[in-house]
Amino acid sequence: MTVRAGLRGAPLISALTELLGKDKVLGTREDLLIYEYDGAVDTATPDAVVLPNDTADVAKLSRFCHQNDVPIVPRGAGTGLSGGAIPVEGGVVVSFARMTRILEIDVPNMRAVVQPGLVNLHLSTAVAPHGLHFVPDPSSQKACTLGGNVAENSGGPHTLAYGVTTNHVTGLEIVLSDGTVVRLGGKAVEYEGYDLIGAFVGSEGTLGIVTEITVRLTPLPEDKRTILAAFPTIDGASETVSAIIGAGIVPSAIELMDQLATEAVEAAVGAGYPLDAGGILLMEVDGLRDGLDDAAERIEAICRDNGATTLRRAATTLERDRLWAGRKGAFAAMGRLAPAYYVQDGVIPRTRLPEVLRTVREVAQRHGVRIANVFHAGDGNLHPLILFAKESELEGVKQAGLEILEACVAAGGSITGEHGVGMEKNCFMPLQFSADDLATMGRVKTAFDPAGLANPGKIFPTPSRCREFQFAARR
Amino acid sequence: MNATGAQRMRPADTAACARAVAESAADSRSLRIRGAGTKDYLGEVLPTDTVLDTTALAGVVAHVPGDLTVTVAAGTRFAELRAALANAGQFLPLDPPHAEAATIGGIVAANSTGFWRARYGGVRDQLIGTTAVLGDGTVAHSGGRVVKNVAGYDLNKLFVGSLGTLGVVVECTFKVLPRPAASAGAHARFARSAEAFAAADAVARTSARPAALAISGGPEGTWELLIQANGDAAPVARTLDLLAKSARAQGASAQPHNGVPGVLATLNEVSGRSDGLVIRAALPLAAQPAFATAAARLEGFAQLVADAASGIVRVVLRGDDAVVLDGADALLAAAHVCGGSARVEGRPDSLRARLRAWGDAKPAGLFLMRRLKEAFDPRGILEPGRSAAG
Repeated sequence: MTVRAGLRGAPLISALTELLGKDKVLGTREDLLIYEYDGAVDTATPDAVVLPNDTADVAKLSRFCHQNDVPIVPRGAGTGLSGGAIPVEGGVVVSFARMTRILEIDVPNMRAVVQPGLVNLHLSTAVAPHGLHFVPDPSSQKACTLGGNVAENSGGPHTLAYGVTTNHVTGLEIVLSDGTVVRLGGKAVEYEGYDLIGAFVGSEGTLGIVTEITVRLTPLPEDKRTILAAFPTIDGASETVSAIIGAGIVPSAIELMDQLATEAVEAAVGAGYPLDAGGILLMEVDGLRDGLDDAAERIEAICRDNGATTLRRAATTLERDRLWAGRKGAFAAMGRLAPAYYVQDGVIPRTRLPEVLRTVREVAQRHGVRIANVFHAGDGNLHPLILFAKESELEGVKQAGLEILEACVAAGGSITGEHGVGMEKNCFMPLQFSADDLATMGRVKTAFDPAGLANPGKIFPTPSRCREFQFAARR
Repeated sequence: MNATGAQRMRPADTAACARAVAESAADSRSLRIRGAGTKDYLGEVLPTDTVLDTTALAGVVAHVPGDLTVTVAAGTRFAELRAALANAGQFLPLDPPHAEAATIGGIVAANSTGFWRARYGGVRDQLIGTTAVLGDGTVAHSGGRVVKNVAGYDLNKLFVGSLGTLGVVVECTFKVLPRPAASAGAHARFARSAEAFAAADAVARTSARPAALAISGGPEGTWELLIQANGDAAPVARTLDLLAKSARAQGASAQPHNGVPGVLATLNEVSGRSDGLVIRAALPLAAQPAFATAAARLEGFAQLVADAASGIVRVVLRGDDAVVLDGADALLAAAHVCGGSARVEGRPDSLRARLRAWGDAKPAGLFLMRRLKEAFDPRGILEPGRSAAG
């Protein structure tokens, strides 16, 4: 780990306390330990944690860190799955636990203005009485924050038809690493000049810190049909995905779960999934009520043609919620199978699903590990959950993860669909991008953050940590 | 205006394009990036030393229908791509102006969208991969060929609407969709613009997701609302019912209209075809009715065309230079006051020197845009001065 030479330890804590006040700074060993991990497997202890109340606090802090060569790492709920909130090069972690307000629900313009610490689900709950919702619905939506969603360009099951976070953000207030506050966009769909919002969403805190977000709100679907289909094999389930798309149907969600994942979910949530199926598809069509039954019937017919043994359509909202609770609780349910898991996030062209899932099974056999699969099949976004028990197994588990990502890239895909690169996959970026591609992204980084203090050690391969990974340039 | 006397280069592949740009950079020769030349009216077009013609960079590179993605060379005509996708029962959900002639690279560089933005989003929402040649000849890839991808920065977004100032887009990958089973149109006429916007808003607030909700009006005082619905037959029929209901609530009656796509295509090209001055504003949705009322009161008001579901409003002004300039100033200011932004999309030559394409307003974050421009085009050779960002 590279750690910067800037201000650290007790002098940092006392300077921050003087700058922002005692109640906004955490600096004891016990306090800092809580911030050394997030939803992924890597850890690093921050030098200090700051809890800003507003944009002015963030700007003041950033100016201070800029003057003193201290890295800044933003953190929402810490649910991230690529180590985005881990201060790998030391520095200050900025927690948005106190910037959680909805500043405005603008029904006429179908926008909401929110602070970055707002929990994703709280926004949709708040706007539901107006017949609206915020589309991106990551499985962690009960905990994850909008600021984190912007940083990671989060997805979720329903982004197949409606897009990911970047498609639903029209305005941002950001604080650059030198403390400059910049307001971009607003409530219109676009503004003149370059699409800086588009470049910023998904930049994982490496271009600056977001302090206010204007999001698009979408009318709630009038109705939905949710279908569960069980197949004897996972191949049967994944081939069905291509058959549905091939028939010209784009459901709002198509999720796939293998038998191991189903076993865990049933033990934890009791969603009513059949335990004897090799693969389960959870699918939804929504929109105007008219034609939904018809669309559901066509999907069910395709499932039957592809060997589905069980077909169930949720008859009530309660039943639908129960089916979704199983999917959304799947990661947490892994605790029923093993003490720990490492989740990968590779993406492949969806027609390559059966073949790459076979590779995932081979990787599991080769490494003697169990891998559960629960993922966004419609998008080709895999989530192999590699189960393990002891810290000592972690290196082998990570190696298995890398082999899966190599298979994804070889199939024409990506090393991450929605979890981000972070410090987990930055060494793997050369699998997917040439040196020139990465240097071009580096030009963007330098334009926003010339001092390199915004979440350093993420996205870009770092010489100190990536020496052992020497990939032949893909392009 | 096409840089008369300028040299011409027509590279046949990415490598040749990179060489051409690198050599131009070495000699500090400025480049106009040009495909079919359908959008010479956009931005602040200044003479350049060389025209880089992208039309030899042509052809569909990869299309796997089951993946719902297509990769295409940037000089390919949109119409050609549309035909190739149609053969597979698919379409790229964009309805850009000048659709017959325009190239993919031009559509991306100019952020050329039409009314379908209502349902499908704009260029930024469909483009998932870009290969571009930067101003120093570097070939840079961003995104990829999969529909979901957060590996690295999303540079696709920067190239959309950059008018060639950040790089020469040479290859693009898009998400595509199966062609809808049904498509139908309808229209209704209103006496006041506010009624047309209210009827459109009522439909936009449902989950019908019409493909297009367009409003067109002129000084004669008739305001037409056009709807196009795409999808399965049942929701398409219901969407037209929803329009009928919302029109009735505003005292109008909606009629089915088979010619909606043709009308939309014409309205879409108001900027390129108009002999007047065209202001194009992107507004918060609810600001549209007041903006339209203000526009209609202006001396010289000739036409208003709105993508009512997206808040994109174009106003055509005609008349004496002084009258038109006053109107333009008023509209540019009004767009900013209501939280949107605006630009000049078409100008008579007589006004070119007196009214800049971007008005007087500076976009938010201009200093960051300038840093990006300098980083991507260190010698400043790509379309100097053409975009609001530099």
